[in-house]
Amino acid sequence: MPRCRPAILFALLFALSPAFADDGIAERLAACAACHGALGEGMQGAEYVPHLAGKPAGYLFEQLAGFRDGRRVNASMTWLVQFADDAWLREIATYYAALPPRTHAADAGAAQLTPERRERAERLVREGDREHGVPACSACHGPDLAGLEPGIPATLGLPADYVVAQFGHWRNGSRRAREPDCMREVALALSPQDIRAVATWLSQQSNADGIRPAPAGAFVPPARCGALDAEAAP
Amino acid sequence: MSLRRILFALACLLLPCVLAALALAAMLFARQGGIEPFRIPHGDRAVATDATTIARGEYLARIGNCRACHTARGGAPFAGGRTFSTGIGTVYSTNITPDPARGIGDWSADEFAHVMRHGVSRRGALYPVFPYAHFANVADADLDAILAYLRTQPASASTPPPNRLEPPADSRRALVGWRMLHYRPEATRIDPNDRGRYLVDGLGHCAMCHSARGERGSLPPEGHFAGGRIPGIGWYAPPLDRVQLERYSEQQLADYLRTGTSAHGSAYGPMAEVVYASLRALTPGDALAIARHLKQVEPAPLRATVGSEANDDAGSPGAQVYAHACADCHGKDGEGKPGAYPPLQGSVAATAPDATNAVRLVLYGGMPVTTAGAPRPHSMPPFVQRLDASEIAAVVNHLRRRWGARDSRLTAQDVESMQGIVVD
Repeated sequence: MPRCRPAILFALLFALSPAFADDGIAERLAACAACHGALGEGMQGAEYVPHLAGKPAGYLFEQLAGFRDGRRVNASMTWLVQFADDAWLREIATYYAALPPRTHAADAGAAQLTPERRERAERLVREGDREHGVPACSACHGPDLAGLEPGIPATLGLPADYVVAQFGHWRNGSRRAREPDCMREVALALSPQDIRAVATWLSQQSNADGIRPAPAGAFVPPARCGALDAEAAP
Repeated sequence: MSLRRILFALACLLLPCVLAALALAAMLFARQGGIEPFRIPHGDRAVATDATTIARGEYLARIGNCRACHTARGGAPFAGGRTFSTGIGTVYSTNITPDPARGIGDWSADEFAHVMRHGVSRRGALYPVFPYAHFANVADADLDAILAYLRTQPASASTPPPNRLEPPADSRRALVGWRMLHYRPEATRIDPNDRGRYLVDGLGHCAMCHSARGERGSLPPEGHFAGGRIPGIGWYAPPLDRVQLERYSEQQLADYLRTGTSAHGSAYGPMAEVVYASLRALTPGDALAIARHLKQVEPAPLRATVGSEANDDAGSPGAQVYAHACADCHGKDGEGKPGAYPPLQGSVAATAPDATNAVRLVLYGGMPVTTAGAPRPHSMPPFVQRLDASEIAAVVNHLRRRWGARDSRLTAQDVESMQGIVVD
């Protein structure tokens, strides 16, 4: 095997990755960086804004298009993406997907869970709640909760208020995904107390090893998932 | 005896008043078009349905931007339900899909043309949110082509929410009164061969945003293209005339319409939407025709004055905010960076009589429209979380004094009053 010089590796990286092929994209996305961080890592101390880096490109594209087309509701996001076409949104999604996943927990100092709530949250994450028909978070978001290509995002280290708000959006229909939209069913089946417990627990998890989403097909979720349909991929 | 005399005297006094009022009403009624607008034609004239006609209708519907107004976010195309905030309440656009009950599927070509020209449908007079004063200029063949195209669209049974308007505007009969006071149809249509004017004052209905409005939302001739605030959504549309557009060459202006960007700045707010939904589809020839026409428009009498004295308050609090928050991209002298960041020198944000656009761009940032000519736009970050209202007031005052020659005196309270995003 020939010796690989760093310069060649660097050049290869530029050639292979569309996100890095154009060094202008970061400066074009200054509006995104203002809230999501310069590298999409999220903002330390921001209570609400999720990280983007390392999430599957298919997932990120669906969210951007959702803000544009009314399947998700956030005035600031719609304001920015409402006149963007699919090609540009795909490029933005691909750029953030290629960046290193967030490594620190969002709310490390947030209100601590009582031992009972923590145990309940961990059970929901690892085993779900069969009685109420709720699958384990890990069954779809991956054993390490780092997501699954092309459409299921990492949930590690998301801000607790953001996660709670998303469950609210699913419950009232203001966040909709490609059918079958399993998260709507999950959100309707979970109690507000359980949602808060899981959200708080998730916000305290870090991704210190920078685990990326599992490759497509690496595991099979327990129910058919619209986010994994082939056309969801950018 | 005395009672009869009093009654007689009263009648003598009142009768002329009543007659004068009736004569005035009759005259005003005649001036809004007489009875003809209220006679809905019923015929079954066939329109051409060949592929060429439908394609032409699609193009014309794009220029008229029918879809943008008649589609709610995430809703079925042309099924209506988009919100229009006015000073007197909210109007929702209607379903113009071919559904016979909820849409316009059972309208004849004559009825469609009548509604487009007169603003009166079988349901009564339409609110002037619908630009029938402009559509009255559209040629017969073009109206038929638009209808032929609309008839190819999927029918939707969607019903828009009922309008929410204050009395008396909630009654369609009151619209007859509005028409008598404010609607004055043109005696002749624009010659379609005068292509630029035909598109600008016809299907393009540019004046709906770019003119100064008079009483009760009317569009008086003296405000034509004088610029104005757009009701409900917190944006200002600048004047459109040869003086305002002096810095654009004809070709630059034509390119701006199709790409949403130019050396002088990018489209933002509602103009970005117009480019995205409509103008980017313009043929190069039509874009140039529009640009040529706009470059010949005489300034309207109501045109807001442009400032004349540059007032560079270097060292002011606003200048300091500018230096650390804005200068990296827009340049220390507001010169911008070609191809990436627009100049502030001479920009609408700096020179417009209304500071709304500048404040809203600083507050919430923006992502210019993507078009074939500008597929990867540079965004502007929001500053609402980095600068407080007094800093934003200071920096906007600074840039408007320095590059707009405006005696700008925004306060933190003014900035706070412009906060909030309306996304319909």
